[in-house]
Amino acid sequence: MAALFKSEFYKLRKSSIWLLIFVSPLLSFFIGLLESNEVPQYEGVQWVTSLGMMTIGHAILFLPLLTGVFASFVCRYEHAGGGWKQLLTMPVHRGNIYIAKMLLVALLIGLTQLLFVVALLVIGWIKGFPGDIPWDVIGSSIAGGWLACMPLLALQLFVSVAWSSFAAPLAINVIFTIPNILIINSERFGPYYPWAQPFLLMMPDSSESFGALNTSATTLFIVIIGGFVVFFLAGLFYFKRKEI
Amino acid sequence: MSELIIETKNLTKKFGATRVVNHVDMQVKKGEIYGFLGPNGAGKTTTIRMLLGLARPSKGSIHMFGKDIRKEKLAILRKVGSLVEYPSYYGHLTARENLEAVRVLLDVPKSRIDEVLSIVRLTKDAKRPVKGFSLGMKQRLGIATALLGNPELLILDEPTNGLDPSGILEMRELIKSMPKEHGITIVVSSHLLSEIDQMATQVGIITKGRIIFQDSIHKLREQASSSIKLTVNDVEAAWKTLLSNGFTTDLVQNNIYIDNGTDDHVAAIVKSLVEHDFSIYRVEEQKKSLEEIFLELTGKEGGLL
Repeated sequence: MAALFKSEFYKLRKSSIWLLIFVSPLLSFFIGLLESNEVPQYEGVQWVTSLGMMTIGHAILFLPLLTGVFASFVCRYEHAGGGWKQLLTMPVHRGNIYIAKMLLVALLIGLTQLLFVVALLVIGWIKGFPGDIPWDVIGSSIAGGWLACMPLLALQLFVSVAWSSFAAPLAINVIFTIPNILIINSERFGPYYPWAQPFLLMMPDSSESFGALNTSATTLFIVIIGGFVVFFLAGLFYFKRKEI
Repeated sequence: MSELIIETKNLTKKFGATRVVNHVDMQVKKGEIYGFLGPNGAGKTTTIRMLLGLARPSKGSIHMFGKDIRKEKLAILRKVGSLVEYPSYYGHLTARENLEAVRVLLDVPKSRIDEVLSIVRLTKDAKRPVKGFSLGMKQRLGIATALLGNPELLILDEPTNGLDPSGILEMRELIKSMPKEHGITIVVSSHLLSEIDQMATQVGIITKGRIIFQDSIHKLREQASSSIKLTVNDVEAAWKTLLSNGFTTDLVQNNIYIDNGTDDHVAAIVKSLVEHDFSIYRVEEQKKSLEEIFLELTGKEGGLL
């Protein structure tokens, strides 16, 4: 398993796709920088309001899109050069290959989240936010966003493994990501929509509560873990039986 | 009886209702170069995919190195190097990096990469991205990858596909040298008889999913029955004379043919012709080529040569 992950990491490192982890934190950095929250009512909570502002673009659009791109990409170089054939005749378990690929994408998303925190800290330093950084809020937002990407990751990996096309899983991902802007407002559908979950878990609940943000954290966790288990097992079962 | 490296029993693969591979009993002995021969679409690749665990048999069993593939797949795959149809590669990596990505999985020393690169003579191009390689170079990289884990069995599916004549020659020499130098058993598939003829020691011929011949290449050559061709001055009259003297011969395109004639039989015919004052220009033995045998066996189907 360690060898598999090492090999997967090696293949990815030599491509340039991992550079995408910088895109969203950078954009969020500029959004956070330009946003003016020097209004009196935000006094003392600038960290959280900035985090909220930055989360909108990052979690509604970029996290779901990046998850799809990374999932497609770790399968792309296998589809393109007949890599599956070679990989699956190696003395390794098929299930482990699938898990290694999934861990790799999870790692990339995790790195994106960490860079996002770095962006927030730099903004706070430039703007001189109050010294006591609310680590609990930031921590749960970042971890929550990462966790909420997991069902989506499992789903996208399943689709990417099944289809040899690189574009098709991405197109599907984009099509389902765009309605996010509406769906996060829906109390009924929001929590169950895999593409909306990153935002719902990442948004710090201090400021305005709207739409699906009212859903309790417990419900969200159950939906997210349940969704992940279902998509993961379906993908794993499919991959183990797939004929190359 | 030497040790069997591959033994399949009743191996069958169905796609829908059609049996692409139909009750195949394949037997490959240690140290042999097993030529797996058949027209396009005969079931060669499907059989090989099942041997490698890429596809699941619908029926039948596969034993390799005496182990059941359903139970000890990883232990088997550890000893097998393979190249299926087109070479597999990661285009964004160099040749060396491609091998490194696989080496990590096989857990062999780094020095092995240089060894296999020199075997396939890619050392000079090792630092170039593989997407810029010619098909021949990719094919050689594929062989290098297959050799990386010091396999005891090498399964090569159409390894000369898409290679130019010098590439084919090179590949053939490489394959022929393996059993001698490294004690590797090789299964090599091809739709070209001449290919197999030049490297294999054992032959399995498959057509429409069934193995119709499996034995040594010498046995296949022995099947090449010969006939004697006679060229004489007045063919028609000679043929009639022979018939009236009790010799049945074939008259084809102004030549007389004697099928499966023993030496005495041929001598008697020649004597009879001489006695009847015919001029005999030539007495030649006509051997059926392997090509013709192959066509006969496979029922003249599929594009060959």
